[in-house]
Amino acid sequence: MTRYLRQAVVIARRDFLATVGTPAFIMFLLAPLFMLVFATVGGSGARMIADSGNQSRRLVVIADAGYAERITAADRRIRGAFPVGVAPPRLDIRAPEGDVAVQARAVFSESTVDASAVMFGGPHAPQIQFASGGRTGSRYLLILAEAAARAADSGLEPGATLVSIQPQPIERTHATIGGRQSLGFTALFVLFLLTLLLAGQTVSVLAEEKGNKVIEILAAAVPLEAVFLGKLIGLFGVALTFIAFWGTIAMFGFAQLPADAGAASALRPAIGLGTFLGLAVVYFAMGYLLLGAVFLAVGAQANSMREIQMLSLPITFFQMGMFGLASAAAARPGSTLALVAELFPFSSPFAMAARGASDPAIWPHAAAIAWQLLWVAIVITVGARWFRKGVLKSGPSFFRRLGAALRGKPA
Amino acid sequence: MADQWALVATELVKNFGSKCAVDGVDIRVPTGCIYGVLGPNGAGKTTTLRMLLGIIDPDSGHRELLGTTRPRSVSHRIGYLPEERGLYSNMKAREAIAFMGALRGLPWAEGRKRAEILLENAGLGFATHDKIKKLSKGMSQFVQLLGSIVHQPEFIVLDEPFSGLDPVNQGRLEKLILGERDRGATVLFSTHIMAHAERLCDRLAIIAGGKLRYEGSVDEARATLPMQAHYTPRDNDPALAALLPADAVRENGSWRFPVPESGMEAMLGTLLESGHGIAGLSIERPSLHEVFVALVGEKAVEEMEADAGEEIAA
Repeated sequence: MTRYLRQAVVIARRDFLATVGTPAFIMFLLAPLFMLVFATVGGSGARMIADSGNQSRRLVVIADAGYAERITAADRRIRGAFPVGVAPPRLDIRAPEGDVAVQARAVFSESTVDASAVMFGGPHAPQIQFASGGRTGSRYLLILAEAAARAADSGLEPGATLVSIQPQPIERTHATIGGRQSLGFTALFVLFLLTLLLAGQTVSVLAEEKGNKVIEILAAAVPLEAVFLGKLIGLFGVALTFIAFWGTIAMFGFAQLPADAGAASALRPAIGLGTFLGLAVVYFAMGYLLLGAVFLAVGAQANSMREIQMLSLPITFFQMGMFGLASAAAARPGSTLALVAELFPFSSPFAMAARGASDPAIWPHAAAIAWQLLWVAIVITVGARWFRKGVLKSGPSFFRRLGAALRGKPA
Repeated sequence: MADQWALVATELVKNFGSKCAVDGVDIRVPTGCIYGVLGPNGAGKTTTLRMLLGIIDPDSGHRELLGTTRPRSVSHRIGYLPEERGLYSNMKAREAIAFMGALRGLPWAEGRKRAEILLENAGLGFATHDKIKKLSKGMSQFVQLLGSIVHQPEFIVLDEPFSGLDPVNQGRLEKLILGERDRGATVLFSTHIMAHAERLCDRLAIIAGGKLRYEGSVDEARATLPMQAHYTPRDNDPALAALLPADAVRENGSWRFPVPESGMEAMLGTLLESGHGIAGLSIERPSLHEVFVALVGEKAVEEMEADAGEEIAA
């Protein structure tokens, strides 16, 4: 067994160094950076356009000084209830000049601002007009007028309020159900995304050895199971390098964000944050090894790059299927579907990672990891046997035999 | 058995689909000898070697390598140069050799150290830190050969080791094979070039059409055919033919015929008495070539030698 592992490590080391030592690896490592750059450039461009539009939008109130003071006070109070980004356009107070109806109409034609709604006529005969896109703004003006009128009726000074309450912040001690589910789903999604990006690489991993005939040396010196395992570990090392690189950057980024204790505790996983993250890493390894082993075994049967390219689509669909199953399970923890997803070996790592968010029990994870390891061994063994039978015996490949079978002829 | 025989294989059979590649081959390789597997291309040599090493399993038959029936369990004691040569082109020569050693359980540092010595001894010291893709085909083949012996295996299997090498490197390889034998290793190699087998092998097997045609020492192989006498009389009397064996062939005033089972003495007496005289007489052992022709037929030998000629020309 130790010899088997040592041989696997020799192969893993070669694969890892050969992959990491190429210029293509730098491109691979920095690929998310290109995505981030494009997303940032595109996003900020779109925001700039949207912002410049929002900046010039106005709600105009034509009112004398006294009424304007009440309206402004109401605006200050009510605007505070809106989250950033969805607040109504800024308020613009104008003094009445001549015929206010004419003045109001003229506001809509101004070229320096985009007035979407105008209120005029004072507290006794208020009128509101709005242009296209100004219906919501007009309702806001109506609320302001109502608030100003009620304050005046109550005989309050402008800015004073009938009730005075100082809200107290409370720290949440229990995670919310929604928070846990969304945390579970996030873990699932991150795991799926990483596996989708990285495990698919294993499909072409034996193509190099088949092309340069090194497979003959490997097959003679080392059990094929060790070759398969070594290849998987080597590529997993590459994947871990990738994750470590971006993980460090992401951690650094999160450390710069202001801490929001309340939000963090709403998301606290049932199993504990440290265990949850540790399990996520283990389940990523399991998911990678399981799916990677399947792709490796299937890809090893292919005779050319073209066949390998053809395989990438069914492989992606297979992964999507596992993601679908596991995410359905994450949405309904404890259901039969969740149990199926947790037991089915290829969706199990994803489903179990999500389970940690809502279930504090540890033992199902120990059992699941053992179960998944068993399946890694099964897939590698079956894959190696299949390869030995299908490829090393120099007989026709699986695909050729399949094609021959479909045509009803012997290969 | 393990002491006397490094390898014993009996009745090996392998079919690929409906084609029978190897059909009942028996091979016994004594420990510490150089053993040749000789045969034309497509005779089943490579399939036989792959079965002996456990890369593929035979459909039937028995094999015992270094005392075990599971050849793969002793892979660290075996060195193998496959017929299909291949190395990672981006590896340096020294690393490639150490990598192949590491696969067979040799520590990397020791592998690198030995690689340097092996490359130096093979006259390739200048290429130690060159990438494989920069080496010529013959040189990279030699690097692979060194990689297959770097862990100092007890049993070395070389599949067509001479093909693709120029005469200088062929000479180096012969020296290397003899050196490994002197170290105590058992060497088994396949070839379709008879000269190498004749010069190097203590024993050999001749395979053609998937069947074993001969197994034994080179001398025994030659002994399967009678000695050849080459006789030149003093005169050129046609009546002489009656005194010689019926299958004697006339060649430029000389006669060539197999030495009779009873020996040459009686015939020589008759020739001297008849007064034809003896201007020249030589008795030669048949060459391996002649044995081969007798065993596998003229056509197979011609094809084999045509392949060998092409390789040497290449």
